[in-house]
Amino acid sequence: MNSTVVSYLSQSNEFQNIHAWLSKALGFDASSLMAFVIFAIVALIIVGVMATIGGAGTYAERKISADLQARVGPNRVGPFGLLQFLADGVKMILKEDIITTNADKFVFNLAPVMCLVGVFATLAVVPYSSGFILADLNVGIFYLVGMASLVGVGVFLGGYASNSKWSLLGGMRGASQIISYEIPATITIISIVLLAGGLSMKTLIGAQGGGMQDWFILHNPFAFIGFFVYFISALAETNRAPFDLPEAESELVSGYHTEYTGMKFGLFALAEYIEVFVVCGVAVALFLGGYNVPFDLGTGALFSKSLGLDSMLSQNIGQLLQLGAFFTKTLALYYVVIWVRWTLPRLRVDQLMTLCWKYLTPIAIFNLLGCAVWMYAFDGKSIFALIMAATAGGGAHH
Amino acid sequence: MSTLNLDVYMPVVILIVLALLVAGGSLFLGSLIRPQHPNKLKETAYECGEEPIGTAWANFNIRFYVIALIFIIFDVESALMFPVAAVFKRFNEIGLGGTLLMSIFTFVLILVAGIVYCWKKGDLDWVKSFNQVAPTQPSFGKKD
Amino acid sequence: MFANTLFLLSAVLTLAGAVLVVYSQNLMHACIYLLASLFGVAGLYACIGADFLAATQLVVYAGGVIILMLFAIMLTGGTGNRTNKYGLEKIPAMGNKKTFMIAAFAAIVSALIVIKVTIPVFQNNKNLIVAANAPTVERIGTLLATDHILAFEISSVMLLGALIGAAVISRPRKEIHD
Repeated sequence: MNSTVVSYLSQSNEFQNIHAWLSKALGFDASSLMAFVIFAIVALIIVGVMATIGGAGTYAERKISADLQARVGPNRVGPFGLLQFLADGVKMILKEDIITTNADKFVFNLAPVMCLVGVFATLAVVPYSSGFILADLNVGIFYLVGMASLVGVGVFLGGYASNSKWSLLGGMRGASQIISYEIPATITIISIVLLAGGLSMKTLIGAQGGGMQDWFILHNPFAFIGFFVYFISALAETNRAPFDLPEAESELVSGYHTEYTGMKFGLFALAEYIEVFVVCGVAVALFLGGYNVPFDLGTGALFSKSLGLDSMLSQNIGQLLQLGAFFTKTLALYYVVIWVRWTLPRLRVDQLMTLCWKYLTPIAIFNLLGCAVWMYAFDGKSIFALIMAATAGGGAHH
Repeated sequence: MSTLNLDVYMPVVILIVLALLVAGGSLFLGSLIRPQHPNKLKETAYECGEEPIGTAWANFNIRFYVIALIFIIFDVESALMFPVAAVFKRFNEIGLGGTLLMSIFTFVLILVAGIVYCWKKGDLDWVKSFNQVAPTQPSFGKKD
Repeated sequence: MFANTLFLLSAVLTLAGAVLVVYSQNLMHACIYLLASLFGVAGLYACIGADFLAATQLVVYAGGVIILMLFAIMLTGGTGNRTNKYGLEKIPAMGNKKTFMIAAFAAIVSALIVIKVTIPVFQNNKNLIVAANAPTVERIGTLLATDHILAFEISSVMLLGALIGAAVISRPRKEIHD
């Protein structure tokens, strides 16, 4: 079985005891049942955490934008306005739900749900730590690409169903922007798969190390450019400024969700904020070492050896460190995303397409070929390893 | 009975069901407590204060369709590239990296030829009419 | 246990989606049902251990083809005007008695052929047992890079043709302007 949160927990004694007891009580092998229960609980936790991160994201966005524009930002609800997102949520639920007369009601209700399903399904393969991952599918990153494209369908359907000219323009733009920028993003992912030699998240992260010199972003110059190509494409895929043309306020009122009110709008917003987190998490997993902690602290072997702790306890400490590393890096990228949004002006639609087709896609293809050549020429060694080898070799000659 | 263990897909199904529950639950909860006073004016599509004329579902520009076509082409390309990229490292370790490198190069360069062709012909420009109708060479139809 | 649940879910999604595609009169709705059906097919692939094929189904069909179809519906004017300029319905009902009879006949004939072809497979189904979570990606990659390298390269030529074709049909024709 693949390594997931269940196989991690099954190392402990308690799990084995409960498993034996349940199997005896029920009369059949309870491993599947237990897996289901654990998955359900962990999925609930992750969804809860993600909803909080999505909510806190709106708060962070408003606070940071206020800082950047020398304003105060939300400061009334709770200490420092921290509970603002709860107030927003309550307000969204309390808002009247308006469906325009000419709208396609079935599609109108379906579109926000589809966005949310697409984003939630991607959460299954996001690697929070080596033990805390829901499904380590063999096709991990490819599955993520596929599920994320549901969001494009949802955006388009949202724009279509409203039967408003602004919405439709926003929806068409949104869908075409999402699918255009998926191309450079996917090609960049292929070049990282080339370096790591596998599609599952475990393989991708296992090929990197805790120290900065072992990250794929510093593996070779092509991967370094690739990180920025991926990050720009990911920003455009999540419809964030400077690529927020689908909801460009100055030209399209509010784009594809012009006609949406209350909680349906809230679902679109929630999906967007969680998607930003997922995209940042994938960028961290692909380029910034993922959950790896320096000096192999993540496995916990050091704790049990030097401090004499119980092996399960030290493993748990290691997992916590890994979670910390992953969330620190991801939230740092999240900050960059918000920072970019409030710093750069919006692109024009023809500039957007030019950027995608004439800059990012050719660069991504060049990076792919470059990574392949690098792997072949230097036996897959990173630039740091080469420098170390060169200095060691130079020292030996003298 | 097969030895296939499908438990790895369990979280996917659980998460999709959870998404449906979250969406349905919040909408249902809202429907119990939110006001519901629809009127005709409220339910017209927003058009900056004007009354909307006609439906928004009109014929749309072909450019979006072409983007979707090209997207599918690159999708298929990536579906073919992913497995080959995944085995590249292993092939490289057993000394077959050179042959695989050549085949990847051939595969990608053939596609690059297509992109170069489109670029030269101006198909990658979003605003085509600016380039098509150059001021010195006005384009005339067949009737002239 | 879960394998059965996954199979049932996928099968119901596939069949219900397919039936609704035929049943629905609204093109846009039919497209959404088709998406559900394609999702179900991806689940069926996952059921037989073809995880890469399932992901490809998601990426290419659920992501790409559905968007293409939605755009194509918008290109032809959406579902707003269902009548042409003579007041006739543009989208006919998907079937009447005659077409249903022909379809049923065709279905029976093709089902017979399929059963005839697949009976040998079912008779020695011991070969069908799949190894536990075999990494299909690596095997497909190895095969594409060794035995089927020609197919791999030629598919690139095919994609090149499609790319140029897509570019050519999008060019504005000069006759329109006069």
